[in-house]
Amino acid sequence: MGKITGFMEFSRLSEESLPVANRLKNYREFVLHLNDEQAQTQGARCMDCGIPFCSSGCPVNNIIPDWNDLVYRGNWQQALEVLHSTNNFPEFTSRICPAPCEAACVLNINEVAVGIKSIEHAIIDKGGENGWVVPQPPKTKTGKKVAVIGSGPAGLAAAQQLARAGHDAVVFEKNSRIGGLLRYGIPDFKLDKRLIDWRMAQLRAEGVEFRTGVFVGKEAPGAGVANDAQKTVAPKELLKNFDAVILAGGSEQPRDLPVPGRELAGVYYALEFLIPQNKEVAGDGKNPISAKGKHVVVIGGGDTGSDCVGTSNRHGAASVTQFEVMPRPPEQENKPLTWPNWPMKLRTSSSHEEGCARDWSVATKEFIGKGGKVTGLKAVRLEWKDGRMQEIPGSEFEIKADLVLLAMGFTNPLQAVLDAFGVAKDARGNARATTDGAGCYRTSVDKVFAAGDMRRGQSLVVWAIREGRQAARAVDEYLMGSSLLPR
Amino acid sequence: MSKMGISTYQSYCGAQIFEAIGLNAGFVEKYFTGTATRIEGIGLAEIAGEAALVHHKAFGDDPVLANALDAGGEYAWRTRGEEHLWTPESIAKLQSATRTNNFATYKEYAKLINEQGQRTKTLRGLFEIRPAGAPVPLDEVEPAKEIVRRFATGAMSLGSISTEAHTTLAIAMNRIGSKSNTGEGGEDPARFKAIKGGEMLSEIIGKNRIASDRELKAGDSLRSRIKQVAAGRFGVTAEYLANADQIQIKMAQGAKPGEGGQLPGHKVSEYIARLRFSVPGVGLISPPPHHDIYSIEDLAQLIHDMKNANPSASISVKLVSEVGVGTVAAGVSKAKADHIVISGFDGGTGASPLSSIKHAGAPWELGLSETQQTLVLNRLRGRVGLQVDGQLKTGRDVLIGALLGADEFGFATAPLVVEGCIMMRKCHLNTCPVGVATQDPELRKKFSGQPEHVVNYFFFVAEELREYMAQMGARKVDELIGRSDLLDTRKGIAHWKARGLDFSRIFYQPAVPPGVARLHAETQDHELGKALDNKLIAKARPALDNKKPVTIESAIGNVNRTVGTMLSHEVAKRYGQAGLPDDTLTVKFKGAAGQSFGAFLARGITFELSGECNDYVGKGLCGGRIVVSPPKESRIAAEDNIIVGNTVLYGATSGEAYFRGVAGERFAVRNSGAVAVVEGLGDHGCEYMTGGMVVVLGRTGRNFAAGMSGGVAYVLDEDGDFEMRCNMAMVALEPVPEEVAALDGADVEPEGHGRVHFNHLGKADAVALRGKIEKHLRYTGSARAQLILDNWARYLPKFVKVMPTDYRRALQEIAEQQARQKEAE
Ligand SMILES: Cc1cc2nc3c(=O)[nH]c(=O)nc-3n(C[C@H](O)[C@H](O)[C@H](O)COP(=O)(O)OP(=O)(O)OC[C@H]3O[C@@H](n4cnc5c(N)ncnc54)[C@H](O)[C@@H]3O)c2cc1C
Ligand code: SF4
Ligand code: SF4
Repeated sequence: MGKITGFMEFSRLSEESLPVANRLKNYREFVLHLNDEQAQTQGARCMDCGIPFCSSGCPVNNIIPDWNDLVYRGNWQQALEVLHSTNNFPEFTSRICPAPCEAACVLNINEVAVGIKSIEHAIIDKGGENGWVVPQPPKTKTGKKVAVIGSGPAGLAAAQQLARAGHDAVVFEKNSRIGGLLRYGIPDFKLDKRLIDWRMAQLRAEGVEFRTGVFVGKEAPGAGVANDAQKTVAPKELLKNFDAVILAGGSEQPRDLPVPGRELAGVYYALEFLIPQNKEVAGDGKNPISAKGKHVVVIGGGDTGSDCVGTSNRHGAASVTQFEVMPRPPEQENKPLTWPNWPMKLRTSSSHEEGCARDWSVATKEFIGKGGKVTGLKAVRLEWKDGRMQEIPGSEFEIKADLVLLAMGFTNPLQAVLDAFGVAKDARGNARATTDGAGCYRTSVDKVFAAGDMRRGQSLVVWAIREGRQAARAVDEYLMGSSLLPR
Repeated sequence: MSKMGISTYQSYCGAQIFEAIGLNAGFVEKYFTGTATRIEGIGLAEIAGEAALVHHKAFGDDPVLANALDAGGEYAWRTRGEEHLWTPESIAKLQSATRTNNFATYKEYAKLINEQGQRTKTLRGLFEIRPAGAPVPLDEVEPAKEIVRRFATGAMSLGSISTEAHTTLAIAMNRIGSKSNTGEGGEDPARFKAIKGGEMLSEIIGKNRIASDRELKAGDSLRSRIKQVAAGRFGVTAEYLANADQIQIKMAQGAKPGEGGQLPGHKVSEYIARLRFSVPGVGLISPPPHHDIYSIEDLAQLIHDMKNANPSASISVKLVSEVGVGTVAAGVSKAKADHIVISGFDGGTGASPLSSIKHAGAPWELGLSETQQTLVLNRLRGRVGLQVDGQLKTGRDVLIGALLGADEFGFATAPLVVEGCIMMRKCHLNTCPVGVATQDPELRKKFSGQPEHVVNYFFFVAEELREYMAQMGARKVDELIGRSDLLDTRKGIAHWKARGLDFSRIFYQPAVPPGVARLHAETQDHELGKALDNKLIAKARPALDNKKPVTIESAIGNVNRTVGTMLSHEVAKRYGQAGLPDDTLTVKFKGAAGQSFGAFLARGITFELSGECNDYVGKGLCGGRIVVSPPKESRIAAEDNIIVGNTVLYGATSGEAYFRGVAGERFAVRNSGAVAVVEGLGDHGCEYMTGGMVVVLGRTGRNFAAGMSGGVAYVLDEDGDFEMRCNMAMVALEPVPEEVAALDGADVEPEGHGRVHFNHLGKADAVALRGKIEKHLRYTGSARAQLILDNWARYLPKFVKVMPTDYRRALQEIAEQQARQKEAE
């Protein structure tokens, strides 16, 4: 364990961020990982709990107490090994995971949680700098071929696990670069895209093949969904050429706001703004939408909304306002009742720190415009009672807006893709498959498995990694009769 | 690995102390001939299969195991490790349910525990329950507030858990008419007082002793109704026993049979040391056996002593679930215990040694059913109440306990979880981050347990039980006790290692006529009416009622056992630990006293015996004075002859004893404050002593001062060979310094409470020693004392002072601290 009395001696040290003024000038990451000594001290705070709630709070069940201790003892390389034993891509999670592990940390009951995510960050960055992350190609090949549709974290994790088990994994991606939302969605300032390339190199060396610009399905996706595909492959063909298929296409259908004025120019889905921005930073052409000098209204208070705020500020927006229908959550959760679960509480993201007006319990009634271009919106305040909302009469107001970004989440995966495969869906339109026991991750169609947002609906990167790993094991079992892949 | 009194590897070989659980009889007969196995199970093929499985894991291609060992998860939970009942999910659900008083959430918790599915984790998880009749409406089932009276919390000492956690349990259990347990650490007399309401906990216990305060309600009580008496006898005084509803003699602990409790030094705070009559900072180890029990007759004697110490308390004996416990329980029932606890293996805290957390003890299901069957068969069941404990968590657990024969139910871990325990398993490190199992004031500030939550928990368990009862058609718990015929093996258990299990011996019902009791229905006759004490009490009325000096003369014979204990109970009831003023009541006996003469003798009472004594003289002495000398007319050389038996002054906490003659073995074992002068000793003198003072004016036997961690002894070593007979593991021998302590006006009289005594640091040794010998002469007329005093200069250098090293260190630390404090002021 860390130091027995470490948690009583050391306080939590959070990672340092560059000052707002500096970071707004570019799209580079601005969170600096802890140095060795700092990370060791933070590791010393871990109590090596008899029941490490952190580990069950972490969706990939990272064996947190073990690597905390190894870091405390300066045994970094072994810490990295333990970390990699449960998590294929700690470089992603240690940057953009909301860290439910820390909410569950026993120290969070009445203290400040162990800085688990920052230790994870320090471990993987050190591993990268020292060249400890090397390919682990399989000793023998099975000769089985598996197609993975989608190159988001779920697809990548599945492909890596399958390749390590000796299968030929081929990843199909409709967009021009690999990574799913990691690449196109999450801004560069939260996740440096070179990390994806770095990890891809490892996957390639382990035998994973990537095919970009290939859409698997029949009809191309509709408006609001990114698609760079030059080529379409029919499911039937895929099923013929592969021994198994994993559907890991994410949950890409954005939720719309069908109020009067929706058709006005200047009203966009969040990803219509964010993806071109990722492309611009990568040198793939300019973002056609600019927030420079504009009054930006972001509708939706989640992660995507935050990313729109951060990006707008980097463009040099005149003002940024964010609306959320839900009421303002409490500043501090009631820990005895919420721990070890993820609490509802006011969260201020780094993008909010960079400048943004936030307003809660607000519903948009109408977009108003001039000459086909949006100039503002009409909204009303809401009252929430027992989980039901009611408009407050007479509370309507108008706000100026030249750019409106809809960040209200994603309703479900592309139905056309699921339908093309003919897989059964759950009530929310996700691919239906269980996650435990015999037949887990298998869809209603033989040979076809599903994982990540495509199976569970809009979620988190860390959940996608979990599902990718577990689905790979299910596929391996299906192909070989048994599997040694860890879940 | 020292357990059950076995300390070497060789002694384990062939010791037959093991029991096989889940192995079939054919296999056991062939490979572990003679070992008991009661529920059958797997054989050679499955064992070979498992060995192959493990081998394959170790030498196969498993990528996880390539460079690392398996996560394991035996002791600490791991996601992919061993299955446990306490998981993040079950703990979170239980805490949330009790904090929000939400029965629906409790039922989710209970479901996680009860429906183990393919994750077979307990024997009871493999059972199925059959209805007793047609379902009955829920409101016809005995109310929960009646059912909770059958519940008790486990024996968790203040010491192992914090004052805050301990008092919270007591408050909760007293609010619902259930029982909490002191554990083996004594109890602060302040907790015996009635609460008016509105007081703060810290006003009662002491400002600097409570880190997380709470307001008390009218009618609350901090008193633990069950007072435990363990081998260590920490804080077992007449007052402590007088304040019990039940006195629990701990023969063993289910989680670690054959081992005593252990409290590491850093958990022994000033307060805990005070309650235990020991020294702050010095670790405490309870000896595994009771030094006054070597046979069932001895246990009967202890039960009798306890009954005398508190005639209105029920006397309970705690046994562990192991093969043969039925026979032991039958003996205990015949030895007149009123109550028996059968304790299962999975109780116990994270403070247990790692080697005891698993694979020590047996599931309670086995021990309970054996006990019930044996007692019913021998028609002894009706005389005793039967309680089961060991990781009871839900109403279903209670139901199965009742069906297997229990009247009452003990819970330990679950209520602690309700108080905030998150199974850190760091109890022994004193770093419990939720203030439950720590004495660190900073951490105790974080304690957030509430009696209301504990109350909610027990009501939930009772409600869950009621729902089961309604479904199975039972209106009263009594209807279910011992109905093992309603249990069956669960169908469809697929786990390959569960194949071949056969519970028929567990579910068996002895064939006895219908009238034979299968639950607690009678009371034991303790024959207290015949006690000599009844006469003494009658004559001592003026002393008892008005503190008037009284002197009584009485003959005594060896049929008079436990003389003075009921009398002391009368004193303790009225005056508590303070007792009567010195020399208020003097009883002069003539004759040969029976066992336990002057046991728990209270302050203000002097027993002078002209004659001799059996074993256990002054057991638990607490303030009284015992003087034994041969009759005047006797012509034997007193200093060469035995005058008192074995195990004298065992567990004494204060008082004085003067024996003109030699004592038997195990003199002053676990003495924590009494002062004694004796003219010679058998083996094992002053073993495990933690306080007080012993003066030996003659030879001692072997193994003197073994495990002694406090107090001092002065031994007259005329032949210069004492060191050979002294166990030097924890003590140092030194000459008695002659400095005159009177210079700094020190109080030369040891305080006699087992409190830290600075004179033990060596300033006033010679003076104190001489004072004791002078008293010995005065009380007993000892020729030996006369000789030594007459030739003091010649004898003094021959005295050896036996000083525990830990005690010296702790005294120095405290002295330095006080000096610093003085300077600061
Ligand atoms: C703006 C934004 C910010 C976010 N921020 C965070 C965050 O900070 N932390 C966090 O944990 N989570 C965050 N999330 C959520 C997270 O990104 C997703 O939960 C996660 O990426 C889902 O992984 P996935 O592999 O299931 O799907 P995706 O990452 O969505 O990947 C699916 C991929 O499949 C491709 N695809 C789909 N259909 C086809 C087809 N038919 N043929 C070929 N290719 C196809 C898509 O083009 C896409 O590249 C954020 C989401 C968004 C939108
Ligand atoms: S992946 Fe997320 S939840 Fe898991 S340890 Fe890392 S930060 Fe915590
Ligand atoms: S819950 Fe927190 S303190 Fe406990 S093991 Fe996990 S990180 Fe360490």
